[in-house]
Amino acid sequence: MPREIITLQVGQCGNQIGMEFWKQLCLEHGISKDGILEDFATQGGDRKDVFFYQADDQHYIPRALLIDLEPRVINGIQNSDYRNLYNHENIFVSDHGGGAGNNWASGYDQGKNVEEDIMDMIDREADGSDSLEGFVLCHSIAGGTGSGMGSYLLETLNDRYSKKLVQTYSVFPNQMETSDVVVQPYNSLLTLKRLTLNADCVVVLDNTALNRIAVERLHLSNPTFAQTNSLVSTVMSASTTTLRYPGYMNNDLVGLLASLIPTPRCHFLMTGYTPLTVERQANVIRKTTVLDVMRRLLQAKNIMVSSYARTKDASQAKYISILNIIQGEVDPTQVHESLQRIRERKLVNFIEWGPASIQVALSRKSPYVQTAHRVSGLMLASHTSIRHLFSKCLSQYDKLRRKQAFLDNYRKFQMFADNDLSEFDESRDIIESLVDEYKACESPDYIKWGMEDPNNMMTGEGSTAGSLDPKSVV
Amino acid sequence: MDDEEEQQKLPDLVKALVHHLLSQNLPPNSPPLNPTSSHFQNSLRYAHRILSSHLTPSVTPDAAAIAESIKRRLATEGRSSEALSFADLYTKFVSKAADVDNKWALLHLFNIISQDRKTAVKSQLDASVFLPNLTISDNNVGPRRIENKGWSDGVVVLAKDPNNRRDIAFREYVKLVKEENDVTEEAMVTDVLYACQGVDGKYVKFDNENNCYVLLDSIRVSRGTTGMVYRLCELGVLFKKVIGYIEQSLGRFQTEDVGTVGQAFCSALQNELSDYYKLLAVLEAHSSNPIPLLSESASSVNYLSLRRLAVWLAEPMVKMKLMADLVEKCRVLRGGAMAGAIHLHARHGDLMVHEFMKRLLQRVCSPLFEMVKRWVLEGELEDIFAEFFIVGQPVKAESLWREGYRLHDAMLPSFISASLAQRILRTGKSINFLRVCCEDRGWAHAATEVAIDTGATARRGGFGYGETDTLESLVDEASKRIDKHLLDVIYERYKFKEHCLAIKRYLLLGQGDFVQYLMDIVGPELSGPANTISSFKVAGLLETAIRASNAQYDDPDILDRLRVKMMPHESGDRGWDVFSLEYDARVPLDTVFTESVMARYLRIFNFLWKLKRVEHALIGAWKTLKPNCITSNSFIRLQSSVKMQLVSALRRCKVLWVKINHFISNFQYYIMFEVLEISWSNFLSEMEVAKDLDDLLAAHEKYMDSIVEKSLLGELSQSLYKSLVVIFDLILRFRSHADILYEGIHMLQARITESSLSSRDQKKTRKQLKDKSLDEGSWVADGKKALTQHAGEFLRKMEQDLDAITKEYTSLQEEFISQLPVQQHVDLKFLFFRLDFNDFYRRVVS
Repeated sequence: MPREIITLQVGQCGNQIGMEFWKQLCLEHGISKDGILEDFATQGGDRKDVFFYQADDQHYIPRALLIDLEPRVINGIQNSDYRNLYNHENIFVSDHGGGAGNNWASGYDQGKNVEEDIMDMIDREADGSDSLEGFVLCHSIAGGTGSGMGSYLLETLNDRYSKKLVQTYSVFPNQMETSDVVVQPYNSLLTLKRLTLNADCVVVLDNTALNRIAVERLHLSNPTFAQTNSLVSTVMSASTTTLRYPGYMNNDLVGLLASLIPTPRCHFLMTGYTPLTVERQANVIRKTTVLDVMRRLLQAKNIMVSSYARTKDASQAKYISILNIIQGEVDPTQVHESLQRIRERKLVNFIEWGPASIQVALSRKSPYVQTAHRVSGLMLASHTSIRHLFSKCLSQYDKLRRKQAFLDNYRKFQMFADNDLSEFDESRDIIESLVDEYKACESPDYIKWGMEDPNNMMTGEGSTAGSLDPKSVV
Repeated sequence: MDDEEEQQKLPDLVKALVHHLLSQNLPPNSPPLNPTSSHFQNSLRYAHRILSSHLTPSVTPDAAAIAESIKRRLATEGRSSEALSFADLYTKFVSKAADVDNKWALLHLFNIISQDRKTAVKSQLDASVFLPNLTISDNNVGPRRIENKGWSDGVVVLAKDPNNRRDIAFREYVKLVKEENDVTEEAMVTDVLYACQGVDGKYVKFDNENNCYVLLDSIRVSRGTTGMVYRLCELGVLFKKVIGYIEQSLGRFQTEDVGTVGQAFCSALQNELSDYYKLLAVLEAHSSNPIPLLSESASSVNYLSLRRLAVWLAEPMVKMKLMADLVEKCRVLRGGAMAGAIHLHARHGDLMVHEFMKRLLQRVCSPLFEMVKRWVLEGELEDIFAEFFIVGQPVKAESLWREGYRLHDAMLPSFISASLAQRILRTGKSINFLRVCCEDRGWAHAATEVAIDTGATARRGGFGYGETDTLESLVDEASKRIDKHLLDVIYERYKFKEHCLAIKRYLLLGQGDFVQYLMDIVGPELSGPANTISSFKVAGLLETAIRASNAQYDDPDILDRLRVKMMPHESGDRGWDVFSLEYDARVPLDTVFTESVMARYLRIFNFLWKLKRVEHALIGAWKTLKPNCITSNSFIRLQSSVKMQLVSALRRCKVLWVKINHFISNFQYYIMFEVLEISWSNFLSEMEVAKDLDDLLAAHEKYMDSIVEKSLLGELSQSLYKSLVVIFDLILRFRSHADILYEGIHMLQARITESSLSSRDQKKTRKQLKDKSLDEGSWVADGKKALTQHAGEFLRKMEQDLDAITKEYTSLQEEFISQLPVQQHVDLKFLFFRLDFNDFYRRVVS
C-alpha cells in the first residue's frame, strides 16, 4: 500500500511541465514510452506505485489527470510517443475547446461547470488507490485555465479531501518580459489566495529565475519552454525521490513537508538544484562532493526563485527550513562534515525564534539514468525572502487595479457579477497578511507577532472584518 | 759400568731416604727409628710401590720446556731476579752436567718439591708431605693382613726381573689389592651389570628403603670401588624407574589412563631400552673375560673392569637419567600435556641429548600430529583418550561454532604456539560447522587440495615433531581454504549479506515504506491493552504490510523469516509496549545471529520503533492542522479576545511542535546517518576483509556494539536513554493534547459556520462543514454568547495545558542537551550540533 499521489495537470503550462515530469519518471523507473517495464529495469528497490499503477496488462499508468480547456497541448501529448502512457479516461478537454482566454474568472467559472466530470475522474483515481496521500497540482498562476480552474480545483479538493495533502507546483510568470497576458497580475493575485488558503505546500517555480538560470548557468541565449520545463521536471522528480526510493526517513510526502513547513501559512517553498544540465547538453564534469553540492545549493544563482529583495531586506531574510535531498553515491560520513562546515562558515541564516537546521535526505539515484556527475542535490527551502515575490505581485496588481484596467472581463462572471470586486480585495488582504507573516518570521519575536493587536492580524484575512459584532463582548 | 752394583745401590738409597724422611717426622721424644719396625717396612714398601708403578708425570720429557715453565712461573710470581738466577743456573747445568741423563726429570722433581713446599708452608704441615699417603695407607690397610705376607717376596721379584721393574711393582700391587678385597673386580662387574638390568647381584642388592643399590655389608671393598659401584648402580635404579613406568603403563588394564601419547612414549622408551639391552648383552659377554693384569694389557681380549664399565655406561647413563627424569615428570601427565612436558627437555645443548630427545619426541608426538591432521583435513576429533588440545562437546547446531569446540590449554604442547593452536581449532571447527550446520560437502574438495598442495611431507605419518614449519604450512593452507570455503558458503549459499541487509531493513526500520505502513495498520491495534491483542491478527497485519510495500519484491525466503513477536506483558501494558519484529536466522546463520544477538536487535528495534511512533504521532499532529485545514475566515465572527486566545493557543501549539519536531527529526537524522548508515558501511567494509568466520562474527559484533552504543542503548548511556523515554512519553501526551485542541477548533469552526449560515452568503459554505454540523454538539444550542464563552474556556484550558507541557518539555530537553557534551564513551557531537544548528538553544540559555 503505497502512499499514492495523484497528479493534476491543469492548463497549458501545467500539462507541459507535467509531461516532462512523467518523461523523467519513466526514465528513472525504466518504464518505456508505452508504459511497459523495460527489460533492463530489474534492479528493483524503487517504488513505482506511488505515481503509477499497473493496468491489467502490466502497463504502468501514471496517476495523472490531464485537464485543459483547450485541446492544443493535450492533443500534442496524445500525438506524441507517450500517447499510450496515459489513461485516456483521465484526459479532460473542454467540449468547446475555447480555453479560458487568459481570464482567471473564466477558468474558475468553467471549473465550476465541469466540476462533476472532473471530480468523477478524481474520485475514480482516489478509489483506485489504497492509501491516498494527496494531490499534486501542476499549473501556472498567470494564465486562465491553470490559475482559474486550478484555483477552483484547489478549493474543491480542500473540501472533499480535507485530510489529504495538496501540493502544487506553481509556475510564476516571467516578470522580465512584457507578457502578452496583460491581466497576469489579477490572475496571479486571485490564484495566490487559493494557494495560501487551500494548498498545503506550494513549490514556487519562478519563470524569471528559470530563464535566468537557463541563460546564465546553462548558457542558452534564448531558452525555450521545453528547456525551462526540463529544469522543472528535474526539480519535480528530484523532490519525489525519497518517496520513490524508500529509506529510513522521509518516505512519505507528509513527513517531507511537515518539517519543511513549521508554520502553516508559510508554506511556499523555493527550490535549488545542482548540478544543472539540460538534455543533451555537454556539461563539464565537476567534482561533486556533498559539501560542494550543499554549498552550491545555498547560492542564490542556483535557486529557482528570483529575489526581488533590496539589499537591506535581503540581509534580513532568513531560512525557516531547509531540506537537501542528495542523490547518488554518498558516503554518509560526508554529511556530518559538510553540515559542520556550513555551520562554521555561517553560510545559512536561520530563523531565531525556534530551532532549525539543514535536513539532509540521502536518496538513491536511478540506476537507469546515466549522468556525468556522481552526486546531485535538490534543495527545498522555506525562505522569508519569498515575500518579495508576493510583494511584487501585489504592487503589479495595485498598479493595474488603480487604473481599474481590464476589470470588465472579470465582471462577466458570477464571482464578480454586479461589480462585486470584494474577491480582489480579500485576496489582496490575504496576500498582504502572508507577506507580513513572512516578515514577522524574520524577527526573533515571531511567537508574539499579531498578539498585541489581534484584530489587525485577523482583519487582514477577511474583508468582512467590520461585520464583527462589538456587542457580543462578554 | 757394573749394573749389579748400581742395582744394589738403588734400594739402599731408597731405604735411606725413607729412613730420613720418617725420622724427620718422628715426635721429638721417641726412640730412634728402627729399620726393622713394621712402620718403617710399610713405608719402604709403599715407596717401592710408587717407584715401581707405571705412574708417570703428565709432562713432556723436555728439559728446556720445563725450565721455561719454571722461569715463567717465577716471573709471574714477581720474583724476576730469582727467575734470572734460575736461568743462569739452568744454562750452567745443561752445559756442565753432560753426564746427567734425565735432566728433565730432575728439573721436574725440583719444581714439584718447590711447589709442595709452598703448600706445606701454607698448610703448616711437616716434611712428611713428601710421602703424603704413606701413613694413611698404613692405617687404612692395617698391619694385620700384611703380617703373614713376606716382604722379601717383593724384593725377590724385584731382583729377579730387573728389566721389568715397573711391571713387577704393579703385579705386586695387584696382588696386594686382591689380598685387600674379598670380592674380585670381575664379580663386582657382573653384579653391576645385573644391577643395571634391575636384578640383584651377589653382592649388590637393591635397597627398597633408600631406593638404591647397596653393597652387602659383609664384603670388604675399597672405598674407590664402592664409590664406583654405587655410581654405576645408579643406572640400575634409573632403569628400574623407567621400566617400572613402562610396565605400569602398558600393563594397566584400562588404556584410557595412558592414552595414545603415553603408549607412544612407552614404546619410544622401550625402543631406547632395547638399545640399552643390546649394550648390556655385549658388556656381559665382555665381562666373562678375566680382567687382565697390567702386563697382559697388550692382549686384545675385551674385558671389563669397573672403570671400563663406567666408560661403557657413561652414555646410557645420561640417556637413562633423561628417561627417568621424563618418566618422573610424565607420571601424572597425559596426551598433549605429556608431549609438552617432554618438549621442555628437548632444548638441550648436548647434541646427543638433543638427538635423543628428538627421536623420542617424534614417536611421542606422532599420535598428536596425526590428530591434528585428521582435525584440520577432515574435522574428525579422533581422540578417544582425551589427549588432544581440542575438546568437543555436544551442543546444538546454533552454538556449535562458539561452544562446540575449545582449546584445552593444559593439553596444548608448548611447541605449538597459541596462535597456531587457534588456527588449528578454527580449521577443524570450520569443517564441522560446514558439515553439521551448512550440510556442505564442498570442504572435502578443499581439504584434498590442501593435502595435495602441501605435498608429500604432510602425507600420513610423514610429518611430526620438529617439523613445525610443515605443520604450520599445512594448517595455514588448510585454514585458508577451509575458511574461504566456509565464507563462500555463508555468503553465497546462505546469503549472509542479504540477511544482514534484511535485518537492517526490517528490524532496523531501513525499509521506510514498509515500516510506515506497518505503523499505520498495527497502530490502532497496538493502542489497546496488551493482553487483548491477538498475535495472529498482528501477524496478518505484518503480512499485509509486506504485500503493500516494496518488501513484497524481497526474496520470499527472507520474508518468511520475518515474524511478529509479542513480548511477555505485564498488566497495564499497551500493545505498543509488547510489539516487536523478529527475524528467524536459522541454521547456520544463527551462529551469527544468536539468541543474545537477536535480543540486542530486539532492543534496538524497540527503541527505533518507539522513535518512529513518536515521529509518526508528530506528523499526525501536523496533518490535523496542516496549512489548508484552518480557514481562518470562519473565525472572523468571534469576539476579539477569544480570537486572540485562539491565535495564541494555536501559535503556542505550533511553536512547541516546531521544537519537538526539530528534536525528533534531528534525532532521527542522527540515528540514520551517524548510527545506522555509518555502522553499516563500516560493517560492509569489514565484511569485505573478513578472512574467516571469527572475523565475520567479530565484525558483526562490532556493528551491533556501535549501534547499541550510539543509539544510547548502552550501559553508560542509561541516564540519557531514560530522559529520552520521558521525552517520548511527553511527546505522545502533547500529541493527544494537540488533537483535542484541533478537534475543539474544528468544532468551533463548524459551529460558527453554522451560526453564520443564516446571515452570511451561502457561497463560502463548505460541504465538509455542513457534514460536521450534523452531529449535535453542546455548544450550538445555547447561542452565540454561550458559544463564545465556551470557546474562551476551552481555549484557556488548552493554553494552560500547552504551557505546562511546553515547560516540562523545555526543561527535559535542556537537560538532555546539556548531558550530550559530557558523554565520554560515545561521540554525540553530531547530535549536539544538529540539535542546536542555528544556536537557538545557546541564545535561550544566554
